[in-house]
Amino acid sequence: MNEEQQLHNDHTLDSWSKHRFMVLVGMTILISLFLVSVALALYASSGAAQLDLSRPGYQSVRNQAGHSTSFDGFPATGVLDKKAIDEFRSLYDKQAEKATNVDSFSGNAMNEQTLSIDPPAEN
Amino acid sequence: MKRYIIFGLIFTTAIIAGVVWRTSVQAQDMPMTEAHIARIRANCVEAQTRLGQLHASDALLRVNRGQLYESISTKLMAPLNSRISLNHLDDVNLVTIAASYEGQLAYFRQSYQQYEEAMSRTLKLNCINQPVVFYDSVADTRAKRKKVHESTVTLHETIGDYKKEFEVFAKQFTGGDQ
Repeated sequence: MNEEQQLHNDHTLDSWSKHRFMVLVGMTILISLFLVSVALALYASSGAAQLDLSRPGYQSVRNQAGHSTSFDGFPATGVLDKKAIDEFRSLYDKQAEKATNVDSFSGNAMNEQTLSIDPPAEN
Repeated sequence: MKRYIIFGLIFTTAIIAGVVWRTSVQAQDMPMTEAHIARIRANCVEAQTRLGQLHASDALLRVNRGQLYESISTKLMAPLNSRISLNHLDDVNLVTIAASYEGQLAYFRQSYQQYEEAMSRTLKLNCINQPVVFYDSVADTRAKRKKVHESTVTLHETIGDYKKEFEVFAKQFTGGDQ
């Protein structure tokens, strides 16, 4: 390695050492932006966004959301006898009744007439 | 002579079918009247407010119904199937219905997501400037909401089917002594 090359290398190293803190900050910001984008894409595509009642517009219904911890369910282990069969029947009937007693997402809430955007009656 | 009559009948049927098809296509493509557009423009802000309320109440319904549907699968069907298997018993029908229920639950989640995205797009529209786009978007959202409703009906049917199959299993298991 000749003297000229040595000088060139020293200059490059010097330039890197001068700016390395700024490069580090820049790279950190870029990586953060990338990770946030991935997280937001997953939030939107996974369906989590639809279950998130903390979003704006859901204030009125936020407090009415049920808590899933209230139901323990049927134990997956243990002897299967008449008592267990009766226990399952009782739990299932109760939960099935809750799930099927409401005709969800039905009705004419989105009808043209309800929204008053139907074609006007011809005279 | 007979051949001419058959040919004539086919020809007439083809013409009538063509006319009927053309009329139906024209009816679908019929442009919106100015009066209709004016009506949409006049009422769309109120319609959007109503849709916003429906959006919020449907989100709550999705959370609460979703929890119930999930709990039936994860806290009742799966544990019972597992317990039957652990006790060296066998009921293929219960396992099949539970698997079918899981698939329907996935479809419910997916159809609700599509409906919610369509509803969000409808709510973001400037309906006064784009009344026709708004009208079409409402129709699209309505169709997607109908799909969600259909998916809940299917889930309810499967919940009933599982119960029936469970009773068959219970009868066999207890020897008809319930």
